[in-house]
Amino acid sequence: MQRDLGSFPLPPALRAKLIACGFQSAEDVTSMRATELSKEVGISNEEALEVLQIVRRKSSGEESQLSVGLPSFRKCTALELLEEEHAQGSIITFSSALDEILGGGVSVAKITEICGAPGVGKTQLSIQLVVDAQIPECFGGLGGESVYIDTEGSFIVDRVAEVAQAAVRHCHLIAESGRDEAQQEAVKEFSISSILSRIYYFRCHDYVELLAQAHLLGDFLAEHRKVRIVVIDSIAFPFRHHLEDLSLRTRLLNGLAQQLIAMANEHRVAVVLTNQMTTRFGEAQSSLMPALGESWGHTPTTRLILRWEGKLSHLVFATSNHQSRLQLHPPTHASVRGQMTRMGDDVVHWTLIQMVWGGNQTWQARGLLWIHYQARGWIWIAVGPGLAVGSVNPVGLEN
Amino acid sequence: MTRARALAVNGRSQAAGGVRGLRPGAGTGPDRTDPAMDWGQLDLNPKVVAAVRKANIHSMKEILSLSGPDLQRLTKLSNRDVQYLHKTVAVAIKSDSVVTALQIYNGQCPFPTQNQRLSMGCPVLDLLLGGGIPLMGITEIVGESSAGKTQICMQLCLSVQFPCNYGGQESGAVYICTEDTFPNKRLQQLIAFQPMLRADVPADIVNNIKFANNIFIEHVADVESFNHCLSKRLPILLSRGLIRLVVVDSIAALFRCEFGATDSIAKAKCLQKFGAMLHHLSHRFSSPIICVNQVADAVSDSHWAQNQLGMSERRVLPALGLTWSNQLLMRLMVSRTHICIESKLPDGKVCSSNTGTVLRRMEIIFAPHLPQSFCNYIISKEGVRGMKGTEV
Repeated sequence: MQRDLGSFPLPPALRAKLIACGFQSAEDVTSMRATELSKEVGISNEEALEVLQIVRRKSSGEESQLSVGLPSFRKCTALELLEEEHAQGSIITFSSALDEILGGGVSVAKITEICGAPGVGKTQLSIQLVVDAQIPECFGGLGGESVYIDTEGSFIVDRVAEVAQAAVRHCHLIAESGRDEAQQEAVKEFSISSILSRIYYFRCHDYVELLAQAHLLGDFLAEHRKVRIVVIDSIAFPFRHHLEDLSLRTRLLNGLAQQLIAMANEHRVAVVLTNQMTTRFGEAQSSLMPALGESWGHTPTTRLILRWEGKLSHLVFATSNHQSRLQLHPPTHASVRGQMTRMGDDVVHWTLIQMVWGGNQTWQARGLLWIHYQARGWIWIAVGPGLAVGSVNPVGLEN
Repeated sequence: MTRARALAVNGRSQAAGGVRGLRPGAGTGPDRTDPAMDWGQLDLNPKVVAAVRKANIHSMKEILSLSGPDLQRLTKLSNRDVQYLHKTVAVAIKSDSVVTALQIYNGQCPFPTQNQRLSMGCPVLDLLLGGGIPLMGITEIVGESSAGKTQICMQLCLSVQFPCNYGGQESGAVYICTEDTFPNKRLQQLIAFQPMLRADVPADIVNNIKFANNIFIEHVADVESFNHCLSKRLPILLSRGLIRLVVVDSIAALFRCEFGATDSIAKAKCLQKFGAMLHHLSHRFSSPIICVNQVADAVSDSHWAQNQLGMSERRVLPALGLTWSNQLLMRLMVSRTHICIESKLPDGKVCSSNTGTVLRRMEIIFAPHLPQSFCNYIISKEGVRGMKGTEV
């Protein structure tokens, strides 16, 4: 831009020096780097930096110029963001049902929280993920490294070696049955010791050490650019004792959450946290819910709640910020209560109040419920905070 | 044979922080809660140090507990200074170098990890547990009465005294009794038969260990005295290296009488506090903590469904609830079966009459490194012995 230097809010002495050296317009200045400018004009480095900042900030206006040393705003469209997200990939778990419910795997640049009662498998899942993040790209993984922050002392390396061995064996089987050259090459370097050597382990004994580690983690990730997953197992343990002041706890957790989100985005890592369960006493009965309070529930992008069902672990997928819970297997019978309006012959619009299925699962989606008649029967599609689909017994439609 | 020594340590009353022994392998950085914090030890600009002192900030813990904008407001420093302050304090607290899992696997890392185990004294049980009890963390043994919990604990108190290459820790144990008096006669019998139980150890080593001298027995009747024991007596014994095992028999009895039905929040807080203290002691000194717990019946179907934690068909739940379960590393359940066998070694014959001893079962309910599995065992005069191959 041809804006005159005089129009900028520069200190008069500096402006005089710049003009004396022949700099007349903004363009003359912005094309130079700070060190060059300071040499030319005979001012100190800091002053040169200041000049450049003022000039660039004022003259950038609508354009976004990526200049050296100045972090400017990057504008992008939603389409670009979507493509970026798709290109990032996710950490597959080698369990197709789990990958499916997670939408491809644990997503990078997002925070995923795993909650459950003791012994249900949270540490096991975390260990699986730090091994799976290292699966080579030709097998569908990310080929990255992993960070494991242990606050409970439940990282037992023999178990990690077992999981690593299983992953290596799995990859060997895939490589042998296929004809892919790249796979066969990659699998030669994929061994238990290579996997273990790429898991960086940090041990934090209390919340002060955890906060300190979070401050240092940014620099660590900047140095080790191949890290793709950071696991904190568990985030609840250090904050649930020796911390009487609940408002301090909320404040510390919020600060930690912000740091983790910033790190996840900046360094393109998946952050996985494990949480404990606590009992909440309702009017009639008590129920289990994730620990650390309700406001903590807003931090993770995805929350996985593991529970026991009979002798098998059962996975319930819940997105944060609202109350919907969706069972793994689609229900076969649902009864709906709500306000019905017929919109046509085959579309019914309900304002949903409550939906009950299976006798004991309640889904309260405060939103619309569309019921369509398809060839095989009625299906419902609920559009609310989330989207869910299932089939409906026509008896339930009579109001 | 000398009697087991009752705990009579005259520890001086410690300052509010308890005994500040060095965590093995931890860096000797500045104590972060010391009120007379010497900021000069950190690599900071003098004007930053002055601003921090003026803002009445006394410890590194406070610095980390305050966010960037809060610190800026209190100290009137710039954003960059505050960030540098945070980083410097963080480095002072977490000064260890980076460790990879491979280094832990090869035993090369600077701090103690969960590699070693404490042997149970029986090869079959050790096989079930993947080598034995992990050295850091709280292991719970839960079961009905007369299932054998006390017997297992006493056997562990003896096995910890063996040298490291025979699965011990070459150190003693503390046995905290909360309900019955300590079964001293049975301990003497076990000591007498140790050479027979531990046939893998050379006889001269076994005979040289003065078992009874290294077991400290503490009788604790209520929550208050348990607190005293944990905060004052145990740290002294642990830091002097006299003990490397703590047994609490049982933790449920402490809470049975003191807290009523409506005091559940107070009870949970107390449990959490004790769990935290035991956890810290265990990790600081690499000593396993064994807590004995009792079972209670499941009140209703939904209560059972919520809390059952994947256990098998019996409708019993460990006492003390979810708060306590969250503190544990590993949970073992012991129970009696209906089978009697003749206690012949190495395998027994199944018989239906009452001439033999009752077969018991040890089941792993959860552990971070073991699958859910079980093993049968019997209690004989020399101790607890696992039985492999018996069909139940």
